[in-house]
Amino acid sequence: MKTTSTCWSCGAPGGAAEPICPSCGKVQPPPPAGARPDRFATLGFEPSFDEPEGLDERFRALARKLHPDRFARATAQERRYSLEQTTRLNDAYKTLKDPVRRAEHLLQLRGIEGDPKMSPEFLEQTMEDREKLLEAKMSGQPLEALAAGVREKRDETLREVRRLLENGGDLSHAAELLARMRYYARYLDEVEGRSVEL
Amino acid sequence: MALFQISEPGESHARQACTTGAVGIDLGTTNSLIAIVLADGKPQALAVDEGSALLPSVVHYGAGGGPGSVVIGRPARRLAAEFPRDTIASVKRFMGRSSADPETRRLSPYRFAEGDSSVVRFVVAGGRVVNPVEVSAEVLRALRTRAEDRLGIKVNQAVITVPAYFDDAQRQATKEAGRLAGLEVLRLLNEPTAAALAYGLDKRSQGTFAVYDLGGGTFDISVLQLHQGVFEVKAVGGDSALGGDDFDRALAEILLGEQDRTPHKVRQAIDAARQAKEDLTRAEVAEAMGRQINRSQLEAAIRPLIEKTGGPVRRALKDAGVPDGKGLDGVILVGGSTRVPAVRRYVRELFGLEPLADIDPDEVVALGAAVQADLLTAESPQHDVLLLDVTPLSLGLETMGGLVEKLILRNTTIPASATQEFTTFADGQTGMDIHVLQGERELVQDNRSLAKFTLSGIPPLPAGLARVAVTFQVDADGILSVTAREQLTGVSQTITVKPSHGLTDEEIERMLLASIEHAEEDVQARLLIDNRVEAQRILKATEKQLDSNGDLLSAQERQHIEAQMAAVRKAAQGGDHNAIHAEIEKLDGVSADFAKRVMDRGIERALKGHSVGEFDQGELSAHARKAYAALEAEEGAAGPADSAERPVD
Repeated sequence: MKTTSTCWSCGAPGGAAEPICPSCGKVQPPPPAGARPDRFATLGFEPSFDEPEGLDERFRALARKLHPDRFARATAQERRYSLEQTTRLNDAYKTLKDPVRRAEHLLQLRGIEGDPKMSPEFLEQTMEDREKLLEAKMSGQPLEALAAGVREKRDETLREVRRLLENGGDLSHAAELLARMRYYARYLDEVEGRSVEL
Repeated sequence: MALFQISEPGESHARQACTTGAVGIDLGTTNSLIAIVLADGKPQALAVDEGSALLPSVVHYGAGGGPGSVVIGRPARRLAAEFPRDTIASVKRFMGRSSADPETRRLSPYRFAEGDSSVVRFVVAGGRVVNPVEVSAEVLRALRTRAEDRLGIKVNQAVITVPAYFDDAQRQATKEAGRLAGLEVLRLLNEPTAAALAYGLDKRSQGTFAVYDLGGGTFDISVLQLHQGVFEVKAVGGDSALGGDDFDRALAEILLGEQDRTPHKVRQAIDAARQAKEDLTRAEVAEAMGRQINRSQLEAAIRPLIEKTGGPVRRALKDAGVPDGKGLDGVILVGGSTRVPAVRRYVRELFGLEPLADIDPDEVVALGAAVQADLLTAESPQHDVLLLDVTPLSLGLETMGGLVEKLILRNTTIPASATQEFTTFADGQTGMDIHVLQGERELVQDNRSLAKFTLSGIPPLPAGLARVAVTFQVDADGILSVTAREQLTGVSQTITVKPSHGLTDEEIERMLLASIEHAEEDVQARLLIDNRVEAQRILKATEKQLDSNGDLLSAQERQHIEAQMAAVRKAAQGGDHNAIHAEIEKLDGVSADFAKRVMDRGIERALKGHSVGEFDQGELSAHARKAYAALEAEEGAAGPADSAERPVD
């Protein structure tokens, strides 16, 4: 393990622990894919349910150092490292920026992964909601009340996830709740009509 | 005025500044430009065509085929009316497009070569066949050599702009054209991003901006945020087949009316329409083909086209988190078509903002590209900004039932990667087809197919046990590479998605050979050699099969094949590579059935003593696999299904 944290360029011990070696300033390869990546750590934050303060600023500062544009004149090896580091950085930022992705990642860090089984009650409720939406659309009724109802459910669900995560609750239940967010999102997309054709 | 700046004080600046030989190029549908960053940090477009910075993207292929017979720019445009089929304009519309695209043939006067290649090919003077990449390369080469003349230095590196909405195939084709023209393509930069770069630096502004870019052939909308020296593209959208050319065509339709449409007439009408459109940006009435056209007639004709930009704009604004443009700090106009008053009016309505147009909309993209070229190559760049761009379209894979599973969503910041695991669906399955798609739709058939490849050598396991991880990696140019890796054995395969624009490796090689600016004769010679080699190869192969499997043929069939072999031999002795090629194709046709029978026999032999399940599909050609499947269906029968019809010698 020691060798992986040694800078490939100057050999400084621990040089590869950072994206840029502190002693020679060379870009380092990202950690091996095998290790479970902590997206919070990639940007230098502690795991948290809320968006870490200063996320945008930290992301921009790191992007300015690591982006392939900064290595257009560098060796092929450095260009590859820069590409890998920036890919990883972009992915981490995308995860941390979005409340649902961020919560999913928190669960991942606690060992909860994969698609949870949705409860039949919830699926039934979803079908009903969609039927109502379809009816309302056919009859030309305003959809705002329906959308508001689903938005309320979505926000409540996220609050519940927070409670479970922060107070040591049932994490597999939290995972199922999070999976519901996708259904809500799709519903709301549909309300907005996806008015803009793809 | 721009002319003076360049030829007088600008020139010396240019000499000092452009020591790296890195330029910015706007490879446009209608016009192309080349720009550099001067010593004072200001980007400047170079005059390259009869004193103008705009080089019409028009290539004329003259008869004779010698090096001097290719004409580019204004002189080419003047020849377009007389030689509509030998003068390729707006070639950008054909980049990365297949010849099957309906778009390809719409109202265009060109002759298209037939053939099995999926790429568009134009037949020009003297029967010469050129593809869109080669035509674009001519434009790029003209820009490069004329800039070299002006600057007195070698130009060998460039940032080339592409519409943000260009898909992978179109990007690959553009990069290829750059390489063909002798340029190292440092980066493909999205046009709206380039425009924003030119504006952002000029104004030193912070905030969120929309770039509305309506060029000759493409429409792009981008929403960007400038903050702490980082330009972040939040969303892009557009229509890669909508632009000022469509305005010209709409008006040309009116001008042509019921008249007969010869290529010559169509070209004439389009030219007259373009002129009238330009005149009508200033005047209320213009004349075209002996008719009076007023502004409201033009506007009625193009209004539906202009309104087509509304959908992509609304979607991009929503994706960027500024629905309906609320919270937008400005709208930047790019592209010559935004000079049309009706377009400006529509933009004002759409965004509720007065659009910015203080940098020449024709030049702004090239200027931005020059800035990016400087950022990428200069020891200490003139400006310290970073561009973060996004994928224009979602990227995914075909899954069961013809559905698309998206791995990377549109508007994801690049570089980006994503990995998804798939499993086998049949017991003992040893190969897996990977089909890469680009687009937003659910069904495979509604998206653009980028590539297909097969991962073979998966260990035979019960269905669902093998795990294949497919990884997509999009680089900073927006170009995709795909890796499939079987997790147990580590068997893996990587491709850069490139067969997409329809050119085979041999074609690219041929184009590269042809591009070393040698005379047409050399190319002909090369093609002749290639075709002779191919003829020898296929004759040898056929002979071998006749020797070992001749019993599969009737006397008449054998005679038929042998006669065609003689024809190939004869053609190979002559000097016409087209003739050799044609005879080879014929031989392929005549012996196709024989080849299939040989294949069937091979499978039959291979299967003796093997159970069907043990057979490794991965090692079989597509043809053989089909035969194999048929065989499997007939399992238990004495032999292949068609054995009864087989002639017995």
